[in-house]
Parts: sequence; C-alpha cells; structure tokens
Amino acid sequence: MTTEIHTLVGAYVLDAVDDIERASFERHLRECDSCRTEVHELSETATRLADNTWSVPPPWLRENVLSEIGRTRQLPPKVDAAPPARPAARWRRFTAAAAAVVAAVGAGSAVYVVQDQRVREEQRVAAAARSDEARVRAILSAPDVVLKKQDVSTGGRVTVATSQLHNAGVVMLAADAVPTGRVFQLWTIRPGGAPVSAGVLHEGQAADVVVLNGLPGATDVGLTIEPPRGSATPTLPMVADVKL
Amino acid sequence: MAERGVGRRPEHLAAVPGVGPPPPDAGDLLREVARGDEKAFGKLYDLVAPRVYGLIRRVLRDPAQAEEVTQEALVEVWRMAARFDPARGSATSWIFTIAHRRAVDRVRSEQAASERTIRAGVASVDTPYDEVADEVNGRLERQQVRRCLDDLTELQRQAVTLAYYQGHSYPRVAELLGTPLPTVKTRMRDGLIRLRDCMGTGVSA
Repeated sequence: MTTEIHTLVGAYVLDAVDDIERASFERHLRECDSCRTEVHELSETATRLADNTWSVPPPWLRENVLSEIGRTRQLPPKVDAAPPARPAARWRRFTAAAAAVVAAVGAGSAVYVVQDQRVREEQRVAAAARSDEARVRAILSAPDVVLKKQDVSTGGRVTVATSQLHNAGVVMLAADAVPTGRVFQLWTIRPGGAPVSAGVLHEGQAADVVVLNGLPGATDVGLTIEPPRGSATPTLPMVADVKL
Repeated sequence: MAERGVGRRPEHLAAVPGVGPPPPDAGDLLREVARGDEKAFGKLYDLVAPRVYGLIRRVLRDPAQAEEVTQEALVEVWRMAARFDPARGSATSWIFTIAHRRAVDRVRSEQAASERTIRAGVASVDTPYDEVADEVNGRLERQQVRRCLDDLTELQRQAVTLAYYQGHSYPRVAELLGTPLPTVKTRMRDGLIRLRDCMGTGVSA
C-alpha cells in the first residue's frame, strides 16, 4: 500500500496517467486488496465531479446511438484471466471487503449519533431536489422536446420546454426583479378554461424552474405580477404570455 | 395541475411527491443491457446521456467532437455491459469511467494536432439545446460538488480539476502549476480523499 507506485492512485483515478503507468498501476492493484478498495471509493468520488457538467445532448444523438448498438455485438462476460494457482485470492478479496464494510458501518453509526435534525432535514431537501432535478433533465432531453421563449415585458425571459412523451413541461423563468411588495405568479391556460395558478414566487425571487404535469394540453403559460402570496385570478396585463 | 400550492414553496426546486415513476436504477438497467436488452439500453441512455455528454463536452470543449465521443463511449457501454462487476463499484461510476477515459484519450491525441482550434471554431454554432442547458444549469448545478471543491486547498483543487475537467496528465498539471511531480501526485490523491469525505459515498442514479 505504501509502495512508490501506489502514490499514483489519485492520478490513476483522474485518468491523468499514461498507458504504461496505467498498466503498471493495474498490475499493482491485482496484488493489493486495500488499494482496490481505495481506488473504488475514489472512483465513485471522481464520478460525482461529473454531476455539475450536465448538458442536453442533441436529440439526434439518441437515435444514432441506438441504431449503432443494433449493429454492435456485445462481448461475453469476462472469463477470469487470473492464474488459477491462487485460489485464495477471491476469498482474501472478500474478507478485505467485509472488513471495509464493518469499518464503514462502525464509522457510519458514530457519525449518525452526532447528526442532528437539521442535517437530516437538509438531506431530505437535497434528495427531493435531486429527484426533481432528474425529472427536469429527463424532460429537457426528451427526443420530442419543444421550446418556446417569450420576453418578459418588465425585463427578462420565460422559456417553456414541453414533451408529449412525458406529458409534462418545464418552465424556466429568469426575469428582472419586481417592485417590493409584489411577486411573480405563473399561470397555465387551457382551451375554454380559466387560467390556473402554476405557482407563486417569493418576494424578491425572479428566477425559477418549475415542472408542470399535463402541460402539453395547455395553450399558454402566462406570467403576472401579483400581491404577495399570489391571486386567485391573474392581474392583467400579463407580463409574459408564452403560446405553446 | 399546478405542482405547488400558493405561497408555500422553498426558494429552490420544490419536491414533487408522487409525480412520475421513480427514476430507474443504473445498475438494474445495466444488468438488463448485459443480456442484450435494447429497450433497457434506451432507458439507460435517457438516464445517463446528459451527464455523459456534458462531461465529455466539458473536457473537449467542442460540441461536435463531444457528440462523436459520447456515441463511442455509450456504444462501448453496450459492448462491455456483461463485463461490469457490481462488486467493483457502482454502474454509474463504471459508465463515467469509460466516458471520461474516452474523452481524455481524445483530448490528448487532439492536443498533438492543432486542428482542434479550427474545428472548434467551425462547430461552435449554438443549438437551442445548448442555450436551454446553460440556462438551466446555472440553476441546477450541484451545489454540493461546488461547495466540496471550494473546501479543498487551492493546489488540491487545481490538481484535481485540471486533470478531471481538462484531461491533462499529471506531468502536464505539474508543469502548469509549477509544482514538483511528487507534490502533484499527492495533491490529487489527498484532494480526492477530502472530496470523498465531503460528499459522502452516495452516487446519484
């Protein structure tokens, strides 16, 4: 674990090594259980660095990839190429992994004891935001997504992305601030129906991302300026009216 | 159909309880993909493609090349699916390792040829998708990753991000930072350890 080659663990995980170093590091890994555990953990961490690089791929990419895999043969599961002379290897690996789990559980419960309600609440909010985020991303990257944009008359812009496949839409608002004592309110308008509130922003809040289910059935997304806590019917004129 | 009642929402995205099916798990999908299930692969695509494309685009900084390399990486996921070993880490991590390595291979081979700049110039016509992505990204960017990166020392952060987001080798990182090689190797390792401790072990989808 403390050999010279092992100092490459960070660079290896970040793909900052060349092919020769990679090969020798992987040789080292085969001999060292604890090193493998470290590499797995740090690889998971490095993967998280991709979390904030999200970008919507062009819609045709999905079709290209799916037609390409239709022509691509899959490799069979790997037959263990390790020399058969080391029957204990797998067992050793297992015990090391088990030891790591036991250690992790121990550390985990110690941490849990000091964790207070506030932290749990933050985690709950973060988890909720994550699941909502996943939904926003799914809608925005749907192959049938349609985008509509409209300037806000008081400054800024509303963008609406709708997907029939998801039967939902995402409303993105980035507007200039409204006067103190006023708030933004979003509305959806359906054929033959009265405008329905789609959410009221806080005082001082001029940007938001909102998921709306059933949006493809609506004809318009409207934006008005209302008294705090919003109104039951829109105060005209609307400052933005996005025709879907 | 409004997702939220009037005046009771937090500042960031509100939770939408019970809306839509729960997002599928990458590990489950990958197991089905390993059995040749193309439909499961479609679902896996929907789950990971924006992040795979985003990561590759971040490293390559050229949308056209990013598209090409994303396709290569995802086809490799299909080809190699049966070799994924859950005992060695999560499916998500496995997929991103493939994607990142592909991007790095490309950026290093491209660094030799200077045609990259020229191609980037030609290909940088923004699509509406880019625009929306940028707009939403500002809002959705994982605060946690950023916060944890801010937690690192300057040298740790530079070493980790120059390697991961720009695809530089550690000798090149050492050169860029004017820092001895052993120090750079150490900072990459202890930077990642500090990130691990800050972010916890959970991996999204």
